[in-house]
Amino acid sequence: MAQEQLKPFKYDDVQIGEELGSYEYVLTQEMLDSFRASVQDPDACFPTLAVKHDATALNMVYDDQVGGVNAGNEVEFFNPPIVGKKIFVKGRIHDKYLRRDKPYMVIEATAVDEDGRMLERLRTYQMKKPDEVGKKWHPQS
Amino acid sequence: MASPILDNAPIPTLTKSVTEESILQFESCGILDRQNIHNNHELAAQRLGTSYTLASGRMSITFASEALRRFFGPEVFNHSGSVNLKFLRPVKDGDTITVSGSVIQQDPVDSGTQVTVMVQCQNQNGDTTAVGQGSAIVP
Repeated sequence: MAQEQLKPFKYDDVQIGEELGSYEYVLTQEMLDSFRASVQDPDACFPTLAVKHDATALNMVYDDQVGGVNAGNEVEFFNPPIVGKKIFVKGRIHDKYLRRDKPYMVIEATAVDEDGRMLERLRTYQMKKPDEVGKKWHPQS
Repeated sequence: MASPILDNAPIPTLTKSVTEESILQFESCGILDRQNIHNNHELAAQRLGTSYTLASGRMSITFASEALRRFFGPEVFNHSGSVNLKFLRPVKDGDTITVSGSVIQQDPVDSGTQVTVMVQCQNQNGDTTAVGQGSAIVP
């Protein structure tokens, strides 16, 4: 997947409602099998979670050298994706805010398949000062 | 689900082993070949100051989704389910994560009853790694 002309990520410049990358890919049996093995669930049917639609959309637009820690996720399931079908993803900045002086950003992606079936909506709450979280977790232990 | 759901009904408890291999395999499902704090020890050390990589929070979302799918049934959960988790502690190689929860609310909606479940993930030490809610609309 081509990644051209990435913008340097600057938290202050990000706008709520800003559109991120839109992209498509074909779900393969290999992706589904690998996902199921990784979560030890032979019936898991949303490998889209591991594709990380929202983070992928962000990374198709921005070169984010800061990184972030995933403080939370919200996901809604509408229909399981079907192997061999194209999946179309659209991402956007859903929100950004400060909490306890720490910068947060909420990225969102919606996915539909080539038949127009809504598959999933995923939001990730990213805290954009990852070193602060690392300190809290007592990394020495 | 064939029978009515009772208030406070527990969802099936689920236990998952998290290994370096499973973390890397989960990361390999992406469509961008990208280094991050889940698959690159140096980046994890640089950004978090940790000596280990982290399991993606989406792995915990997937574990919770499995417990909820077992509770509601795939025909219900895969078409109307949701999961909302806040991550409290890191999950890493060697951890064993147990998902548990119970029904906390039921509300009538146009297409049935929206059943909300409190969900939590705990590690092998009894520490809560994630907490939140899941739901589905039961016809």
